[in-house]
Amino acid sequence: MKAASAIILMLELYASIGLLVAALFLTVGIGRIDPSAAHAYAFRFLILPGAILLWPLVLSRWLKLARQQPNQNR
Amino acid sequence: MSVAYKTVTWNRNKILYDGVLAVAVILYLFVFQRLAPRFQPVTLPYDDNTLAMDAYGSCAFLMLSIILCIGPLARLDQRFLPALYNRRHFGVLTCAVALFHAISVIFWYFAFSPVPPANALLFANTSYGQVLGFPFEGFGILALLTLMVLAATSHDFWLHFLSPPIWKAIHMAVYFAYACIVSHIALGPLQTLTNPAFGIIAFSAVTSVAVLHGLALTKERRCERQTADAINEPHWVRAGSLDSLAESCGLVVNFASGERAAIFRHGGKLSAISNVCAHQNGPLGEGRVVGGLITCPWHGFQYNPADGCAPAPFTEKVATYCLKLQGRQILVDPRPNPAGTYVEPLIISEA
Repeated sequence: MKAASAIILMLELYASIGLLVAALFLTVGIGRIDPSAAHAYAFRFLILPGAILLWPLVLSRWLKLARQQPNQNR
Repeated sequence: MSVAYKTVTWNRNKILYDGVLAVAVILYLFVFQRLAPRFQPVTLPYDDNTLAMDAYGSCAFLMLSIILCIGPLARLDQRFLPALYNRRHFGVLTCAVALFHAISVIFWYFAFSPVPPANALLFANTSYGQVLGFPFEGFGILALLTLMVLAATSHDFWLHFLSPPIWKAIHMAVYFAYACIVSHIALGPLQTLTNPAFGIIAFSAVTSVAVLHGLALTKERRCERQTADAINEPHWVRAGSLDSLAESCGLVVNFASGERAAIFRHGGKLSAISNVCAHQNGPLGEGRVVGGLITCPWHGFQYNPADGCAPAPFTEKVATYCLKLQGRQILVDPRPNPAGTYVEPLIISEA
């Protein structure tokens, strides 16, 4: 039973971090790295579950695309 | 894509597709709940909760089997292409039905558990060393989590954000989800089957998925072997006869490099672009020229035949190829031009 509790605790921790990353990404990051998302707001609710589930990937792509952005503007 | 994202870009075809899907699912659940109790032994009658659980579970399994059959069917016969058009909504609905199955299981078997239902689900059975009574729930959890990831990343935003190779790799996990569901069924319901009907249906579904994938793969391999003929002129290969290319249709050419071009005949002219759609790698050569634009058979993405660019405001573009005619034979230069390069369409002289 301890193992099950540990698994559930890890999942809850993962989802909590995911919620934080998703909230930041969908409010601050998304409009900066994708021009098509800059003035589109309704669809962000639709991508919220994906951002929570895949937050490590979201974070890594967000950082990568954000680093590329200044180079593209030069 | 440069237009603002929408939650869903509805059109008549999508509404029709989703309407048919919703009706089919409701009809299945209704018919299952009416018919299944008749096949149960009198000593083990269905209760309402188990009936709903089995209805949702079997429905999700059959839906995923159909989803996996659509791809190879569309490769084998173009008449199945409309089923491919809005397959992602099919997938999202499958995930929703699977979720209903999971919820009905948790609230039936673990409703009065002294520990939280999620903990009980993971720890109620740990007999991993035996086939009969194996904790098959684990496979169901893995399948559901995978389907949730696929459904949650089905919006076009994810395709652009993650890049097509990563998105495609994630969505290939649908096969992992299917394998988990098959294991979940084989080690679970099939072990305690009281009527062979579901076993036969499950076996037929899995066999259909496997056979159709095998047939589509064989067809693909056969096409790959038919590479364009090299001719004496350097840099040019023979693509085929002009007579074999109907108006508004495409001809796929395989190059020795493994790349493919799609040659289209449109309004007395010929143009060639890459066979790979920039959206989801759809086979452009199997599409048609609609309104002067090459239209992908999978999701309707369009490209100008002369420069391989999507019409404004869209920004997708694909490589173009140079063509020339030798009598009635179409010759193509296998070296692709950079994506979006304008190539003057080749005028067909019928004289």
